[in-house]
Amino acid sequence: MSPESTLYKGKTGQWAFVLHRVTGFLVLMFILLHIIDVSMLNFPRIYNEIHALYGNVLMRLFEVGLLFGLVYHALNGLRVIMIDFFPGSIKNEKSVFYGIFSLTVLLTIIGGFIILRPFFTGSVH
Amino acid sequence: MSTAERSTTRPGATPNRRSRQNFETWSWFFMRISGLILFFLALIHFSLTHIFNDVTTTTVSFVAKRWANPFWRVFDWLLLSLGLLHGTNGLRFIMDDYVRNPRKRAALKAFMYALAAALFVLGTITIVTFKGSLAG
Repeated sequence: MSPESTLYKGKTGQWAFVLHRVTGFLVLMFILLHIIDVSMLNFPRIYNEIHALYGNVLMRLFEVGLLFGLVYHALNGLRVIMIDFFPGSIKNEKSVFYGIFSLTVLLTIIGGFIILRPFFTGSVH
Repeated sequence: MSTAERSTTRPGATPNRRSRQNFETWSWFFMRISGLILFFLALIHFSLTHIFNDVTTTTVSFVAKRWANPFWRVFDWLLLSLGLLHGTNGLRFIMDDYVRNPRKRAALKAFMYALAAALFVLGTITIVTFKGSLAG
């Protein structure tokens, strides 16, 4: 076990930390893939074919997952900055974490609805 | 640094350790600052390509229209470079924690840095060389 992962002794901070790592890792993996697909811009036919795949329902579900990871990592990152740069500014750590998590879920549901809407209306297969 | 502290380390090890500590302090600071900038860059980028436009409309001509404005090329290049640096540095923390074998860790890090550097070059070439006129 690393020093970091035992530091929080299993409280909400540790879950915030674990989720921060997992989401950060997954977002990075997507960035690596995304740089390669965008590099096809100078081959317009290939680029458009690949990007048509992003409209597939499985890819749309994947994009909803990406939205969750991105929003969580962004909001929790702000929490980390607050704790590091303004010590004592966060009084109730637990409720801040639950707030961040709830906001992430809420934004994922709203964004997910918009991303998946073409599937429900039958405009994609 | 006090003499008591210094005496606990091997002679000659101190400068190295100090520069490593300096590097880690800068790394810590960089993660916070780049994270704050990426907060806006990444969420704006995702919203534009998945929320305010459907992903199927982000074709070559969509990019050509967007990149006709240098602002968006700079925006995307910043997202590319900060995202890769922030992400690769984060992965470095993860490898330090979970890859315990020093040789495996060094090899994995070298591979990751090379991959990130190659993708940085690829992404930069894409952003710089793309000509909107190619878009049919």
